[in-house]
Amino acid sequence: MLTDNAVFAASRDSVSKIRIRDLGKTFSLGQTEVTALTKVNLDVTAGEFICIVGPSGCGKTTLLRILAELEAPTQGEVLIARDDPSAPLSSMIFQESSIFPWMTIRDNVAYGLRLRGVDDTQINKVVTHFIKLAGLERFADAYPHQLSGGMKQRASVARAFSNDPEILLMDEPFAALDEQNKALLQEELLRIWSETRKTVVFITHSIDEALVLSDRVLVMSARPGRLKAEFKVDFPRPRRVYDLKADPAFGRMGREIWTLLREEVAGQ
Amino acid sequence: MIVSSNDTVRISADPPKGSTSLQRLLRSDAFASIASPIVILLVWEMLVRVQLLDARFFPTPSSVIVELVSMIRSGEIFVHIAWTVSRVAIGTLLGAIPGLVFGVLLGLSPVLRTFIQPAISALYPIPKIALFPLVMMIFGIGDASKWVIVAIAVFFQVFFSTLAGVVNIDKIYLDVASNFKASRWQTYWTIAIPGALPFIFTGLQLGLGMALIVVVIAENFGTQVGVGYIIWQSWQVFEVRNMYVGLIVVAFLGYCFQLLLQRLQRAVIPWKKDGGT
Ligand SMILES: Nc1ncnc2c1ncn2[C@@H]1O[C@H](COP(=O)(O)OP(=O)(O)OP(=O)(O)O)[C@@H](O)[C@H]1O
Ligand SMILES: [Mg+2]
Repeated sequence: MLTDNAVFAASRDSVSKIRIRDLGKTFSLGQTEVTALTKVNLDVTAGEFICIVGPSGCGKTTLLRILAELEAPTQGEVLIARDDPSAPLSSMIFQESSIFPWMTIRDNVAYGLRLRGVDDTQINKVVTHFIKLAGLERFADAYPHQLSGGMKQRASVARAFSNDPEILLMDEPFAALDEQNKALLQEELLRIWSETRKTVVFITHSIDEALVLSDRVLVMSARPGRLKAEFKVDFPRPRRVYDLKADPAFGRMGREIWTLLREEVAGQ
Repeated sequence: MIVSSNDTVRISADPPKGSTSLQRLLRSDAFASIASPIVILLVWEMLVRVQLLDARFFPTPSSVIVELVSMIRSGEIFVHIAWTVSRVAIGTLLGAIPGLVFGVLLGLSPVLRTFIQPAISALYPIPKIALFPLVMMIFGIGDASKWVIVAIAVFFQVFFSTLAGVVNIDKIYLDVASNFKASRWQTYWTIAIPGALPFIFTGLQLGLGMALIVVVIAENFGTQVGVGYIIWQSWQVFEVRNMYVGLIVVAFLGYCFQLLLQRLQRAVIPWKKDGGT
């Protein structure tokens, strides 16, 4: 565990994909101001998988929205290195349902590729692949209102993956899913990640999920949110969700993170 | 089907509906919507025959129908309908397209909204038909002025509905588009217009209603054809049965427009089909 003002980095000499320096965000709500983030410092290595946990309302979504270029910071800066200027840099999977009601599932998943003018046969191949992965084959031509909440969330995961960005920004993407589907999609995410080595910033409420997926878990403080601690997670890969949970080291680490988080939640 | 008694509530499948075609007919909406006007017409006919209603103002429905049939036989009525429909159609196109374009542009741009919306809002309360003399001064008394006045009426309805539709689109969809780096143009086509379509159709529905009102009044001027013309002409010569024929045809046209729009809506907004959002 490091001190409060340290820069959280995977290792001192690794190349940063994302470099966050003294990042702060204050929203003004009429008369009052809400500081969502303050003094956030973080380096994420290319190809790294990090998870962020923190109490509700501590600014996790805000941080991700800044990384997705949807929100401008009020202090500090973010630097993101891009490998291929012609490829999409990042795709965000939103916490709430964001699948377009006016498009079929297939068109939703194809959205990013269509915008970029990828040719139809290529789109078809990619989209079919990810729809199958998300277990939505039978619903490819259905509209979102004909799907359950969890199915819609899987569709938005497929939409982000099919876009094939350098960075995946995932905001509690599996929170609405049942245990079985969650475990399946987690393994699928790990498989895709190990094949493509995308950089992933993954927000979750679940300490278990963070430990199963990531190389590093970052713990955020209560609002105003900043990074409070980091935990290196070096369970060997490929990981299998249920094997990992049986590992005693898994439980120890989980308890440590939980102790930290409890202070934050209780102190709010 | 829910049956509740003191100690239980039974929730079960509804019993099968009556299956003979007669039973289905009696239950259908079409039957209900035809039955009540027929009853009213029968009562009306009787009231005129026993001279409780003044036949100079309220001719018997049967005599109106005779008149209508003769105008259908001669084909005369179709000429009038064709003219009115073409004026409504052209005017609607001329009004709906700019209404849609401005609605989408202003809906997505707060800056444009603050500049342009006050001007449009200031014009909106003017009864559109009050502009008709001015429109005739500019465009003459021929068909062009009728298109323009219809277009003005339709524009406002479509504009305000589209604007409301675009402004009401859940912000998350715009975030998704922006995250996928959609261009302005792509955002219009993939988010703003489809997202606002239900509102746009409401605007078209209101607009077509207005269009019919306006065109009937406008056909009092500078023309010898059109359903509005029939009505005004029969007023001048006190030929009240013709006037009723005109009224029936106008009502029928209004009904057809709405029906057409519903069909179109179902085809264009499939994601609303079973009541979802
Ligand atoms: N657009 C906004 N305007 C004003 N305040 C905002 C806005 N967005 C977020 N906030 C505030 O910033 C704080 C952090 O919000 P954020 O959504 O980032 O939390 P979070 O960590 O994602 O919470 P959760 O785990 O519940 O999703 C909250 O207090 C919220 O009220
Ligand atoms: Mg959040």
